[in-house]
Amino acid sequence: MEGTLRLARLRARRGPYLVSVTERLLIGRLKERDEQAFNEIVRLYGDKVFSLVYRMIGSRAEAEDIAQEVFVTVFKTIDGFRGEAKFSTWLLRIAANQSKNRIKYLARRATDPEGLDEGAEAAASSHGAPLAGRIEGPDVLIEAAELDGLLQRAIAALDEDQRLLVVLRDVEEMSYQEIGEITSLPEGTIKSRLHRARMAIKESLDRHTR
Amino acid sequence: MDHEQAAEMFSDFVDGTLAARDKSALEQHLAACIQCRTELESFRRAVGSLGKLKQPAPPRFLPDIQRQIYERSRGRFFGRRWKVFGRIPFEWVSLATIIAMLIYYIAMLHGTPGGVKPAP
Repeated sequence: MEGTLRLARLRARRGPYLVSVTERLLIGRLKERDEQAFNEIVRLYGDKVFSLVYRMIGSRAEAEDIAQEVFVTVFKTIDGFRGEAKFSTWLLRIAANQSKNRIKYLARRATDPEGLDEGAEAAASSHGAPLAGRIEGPDVLIEAAELDGLLQRAIAALDEDQRLLVVLRDVEEMSYQEIGEITSLPEGTIKSRLHRARMAIKESLDRHTR
Repeated sequence: MDHEQAAEMFSDFVDGTLAARDKSALEQHLAACIQCRTELESFRRAVGSLGKLKQPAPPRFLPDIQRQIYERSRGRFFGRRWKVFGRIPFEWVSLATIIAMLIYYIAMLHGTPGGVKPAP
């Protein structure tokens, strides 16, 4: 059993779109409400889901909340998973949709000063950035953290569809085919939107580094 | 090729998906245009930097989800469900019913030829 789980972990690291017997067995066990299978799914896909959500939202607290919600949704609706899409595609689609919904929700709250908190403002604002990017004082900032902050701000300035494409392609390094399966967009549309998003990020970095 | 047309090809060029003829045209332009070379370098750096943004989940991620699920389901989420409330195999139930009806029909047809005798 440990051997098959190790194989599944290895495959998940190589790329999330390899359907394996191990994965099918894992999903079968998940449908039987097997707690070990549940833990294994979180261990296999937790980092990928968290990374996607965090880079989409730009706030660690919000990202933790959404990523947890993604897995709760997955486990609540696993009986509806018929294997028509790969499990990882299905999972990341849920993560992407929940992130986009949260971005819209936070943007709506940002226009309502009554219901705004600091974390939501940072994530919803076009200048939202993770903590590392918002700390003042050049003596405490290392170069990597500074770049991280600049990039996160540049991503946050994009609309949610462009953010998703940049995160899937350039952060998570997925193929255009995988991105098409998650977003249901044709390759041409993905490429043209992604190019505009990349150019916007480049311009943003150029402005801050010149 | 002008600067704008060259910039339009940057993504495909960096991804390695640019058609051979376009790639050759872009490379020719880049050889002669320092501005586009600088822009491409900056573009490549920006795209490359994004690959370093992967963020692992926090160490307490799994326990936090487990806690949420236990709280929301009051500890009833895990464990094998009672099969009666699982999926009923309707196709097998239908087949068994048809076979039972067929057996009953055949038994009725051949089993009791003179079931009730008329009164003398």
